[in-house]
Amino acid sequence: MNCEEATKLMDGYLDGELDPMTSQKIEQHLRDCRKCEQAYEAHTALAHAISRGAPYYKAQAELRQRVQSSLRDAVGVRASRSAARENHASLTSRWAKRRPVLPEIPWNWLALAAAIILAAIIASSFLPRLRPPTSDQFLATQLIASHVRSLMADHLTDVASSDQHTVKPWLDTKLDFAPPVVDLSSEGFPLIGGRLDYLDSRSVAALVYQKRKHFINLFIWPTTPKDSTAQTMVEREGYHLVHWSDGDFTYWAVSDVNINDLQSFKQLFEQQIARH
Amino acid sequence: MAAPLKIDYAFNAQDFESSAKIVKFTILKKHQEPDAAQEHELASFEETMLPHMDAAHNLAKWLLRNEEDAQDVVQEAYLRAFKSFSGFHGSNGRAWLLTIVRNTSYTLLKKNRAVDLTTTFDEEIHTAGHESVSPATILEHSENAELIKEAMDELPVQFREILALRHQEGLSYKEIADIAQIPPGTVMSRLSRARAELKEYLAARISKDK
Repeated sequence: MNCEEATKLMDGYLDGELDPMTSQKIEQHLRDCRKCEQAYEAHTALAHAISRGAPYYKAQAELRQRVQSSLRDAVGVRASRSAARENHASLTSRWAKRRPVLPEIPWNWLALAAAIILAAIIASSFLPRLRPPTSDQFLATQLIASHVRSLMADHLTDVASSDQHTVKPWLDTKLDFAPPVVDLSSEGFPLIGGRLDYLDSRSVAALVYQKRKHFINLFIWPTTPKDSTAQTMVEREGYHLVHWSDGDFTYWAVSDVNINDLQSFKQLFEQQIARH
Repeated sequence: MAAPLKIDYAFNAQDFESSAKIVKFTILKKHQEPDAAQEHELASFEETMLPHMDAAHNLAKWLLRNEEDAQDVVQEAYLRAFKSFSGFHGSNGRAWLLTIVRNTSYTLLKKNRAVDLTTTFDEEIHTAGHESVSPATILEHSENAELIKEAMDELPVQFREILALRHQEGLSYKEIADIAQIPPGTVMSRLSRARAELKEYLAARISKDK
């Protein structure tokens, strides 16, 4: 990597948004190049200064009340309550004259009390969700992040080849396992290449397939006891994930293609492996 | 903004003693008979979205640089969000709300086009000779929170937006891309330019103060 490339990718590296291979290359360059290392240090310090120095404008209690009452009003809950007050006010019209401001005070306190009770209800109903996400959810998040990163930093493949006999030996030499690689171009999913990735504290193989304009990342690693063997389908943030395992390996396919395409991709992949 | 008007009316109604007003008010009430399903939806909406009001207000304030506008936008955004809440099935409520806040803010900015959108970057400051300012001096000054705020306020709206989303909300590039409606590949370069411009501004300020 040269200085120009390193400078271009520096922000992504700083924000931890690059794929592991590119990050390693940048790290290597920063070790070798004093100038870029200094630039990176200055850039990191600036980023921290922005995070620390820029004021965070919290919403005032008054705005919270305002938003909540406008929402109430949109639904019409408020109307009946106000109507009751209205009737009361007209009965005690003697009082009504000299309280253009006063009536709002008890209401504000009521609203505040209501807000506190509501906050308590919200907090208590939120508690179950505050539990740490399950390992599967965490994995899904990591998988999507890897998929997005591979498309973003122009780092889809380490070995770009549609030939499974090129991709497989390359992966075999980089990993401590030999992932199955098949070409599915005759079925409409041409192989684009392979990549090393790092997921859940282990090196994994990523095979890249294409469906029309979309890419499918297929992550493969040897099944361990902590991997679930159940077949799952997940949809998150517009991405689909399909998970299966065949005894030896655990597979996760991630893509933005529709779920039917991803399912048939999975079936074709399994059929091809069975044939080999 | 029909909704807030109705509230005002409901509150002010008790100051009027003319029966005509009361009749009007009763009609209004009948028209707005609360509906259990809607109340349920509101409760679920509030549970999901109210916790993100600080984030909503912060973004609006950075985009509009005006407290009153920011509050109006937050209120409007919440109403809009509530109306389309049935279409929200995702898990990321904050990002969804921030997208609406962002769009509402831009609508207002476009309306006041004369004042904003293409923020005038102070050319004089921008082109002044400040090459002599060393990175160390810039860093020293960047400890000054007031100066950071001032510098950020001077940046064009797209840069204020991306800096707030990244540095204050800590959002990922993917989330930022969705909110700012730009391709994921553009997030890094825009963030890079925003930071560079901010540094440039700090350097300019420092050499001017010398």
